[in-house]
Amino acid sequence: MSVQLWALAVASAVVLAAAGLEIFRSSRARRLAAGATSAPASEPYILYFTGDGCTVCRTHQEPALARLDGVRVDKVDAIAERELADRFHVYTLPTTVVMSAEGRALHVNYGYAPSNKLDRQLAEARIGSAMERTATA
Amino acid sequence: MALTTVDHSALKVNQTGIVATVLVAFFGSYFYQPLLVLIPLLAVVLLLGTFAPQLALFKQIYFRVLKPAGIVKPRPVQDRPEPHNFAQGLGGVFLAIASVFLLPLPVVGLALSLLVAVLAFVNLAFGYCLGCQIYYQLGKVGLIRA
Repeated sequence: MSVQLWALAVASAVVLAAAGLEIFRSSRARRLAAGATSAPASEPYILYFTGDGCTVCRTHQEPALARLDGVRVDKVDAIAERELADRFHVYTLPTTVVMSAEGRALHVNYGYAPSNKLDRQLAEARIGSAMERTATA
Repeated sequence: MALTTVDHSALKVNQTGIVATVLVAFFGSYFYQPLLVLIPLLAVVLLLGTFAPQLALFKQIYFRVLKPAGIVKPRPVQDRPEPHNFAQGLGGVFLAIASVFLLPLPVVGLALSLLVAVLAFVNLAFGYCLGCQIYYQLGKVGLIRA
């Protein structure tokens, strides 16, 4: 086999290993962050972790968040507010957390989350909150 | 740190240049081995461009040729240039390491070069910048001011 083919095989193996590690890391972080708490609100809302150096935040995530009508988005500087970022195991930017009205993390998205995904997660959060209110009433 | 305007088209041209050069070196060296010299040359270009932006070859091609000719449209974004420079420098360092391996262990040298090209392509196509994420992590642990 030529040198180029071996190099291609080695590079592919590294890329696959890195992708596998990333999947493992994000699912582990998601599991650890699930149920973490923050301030309660009247409606489900989004915690949006960002930073000055995050380009995707400005070019992709912020326009996606702006498309969500009437949703409260709490913008958090992940560097300045490390304690809060660590609570939600933020290891990459942007990170968006869909919070229930009771202030519990329901969905954690590491990396860019498109508006339709956030919309779906918010809809689930609203149903969950409505059911909880009915149960406690 | 304050935001400034970064022309993202210049970054895209830079990433395209990296991918194209590595691919030419990789596939071209199968037929004509001296083309491997493109890898150390690219390392020098990236490292020089990191510390002296006026020497960043691909960005200069964009600012002096492609942009004035209207071939590539500018895309100014409120951003910080540091993470992008850091990512470029990291690419340059990996290509320099790859260059060291090219003669004694060409498989390692070529594989490292391909990885740099893959990461540049991921940034070009999907906007995911691994170097910028490393920059964020280093800032988080206080090693640099992110």
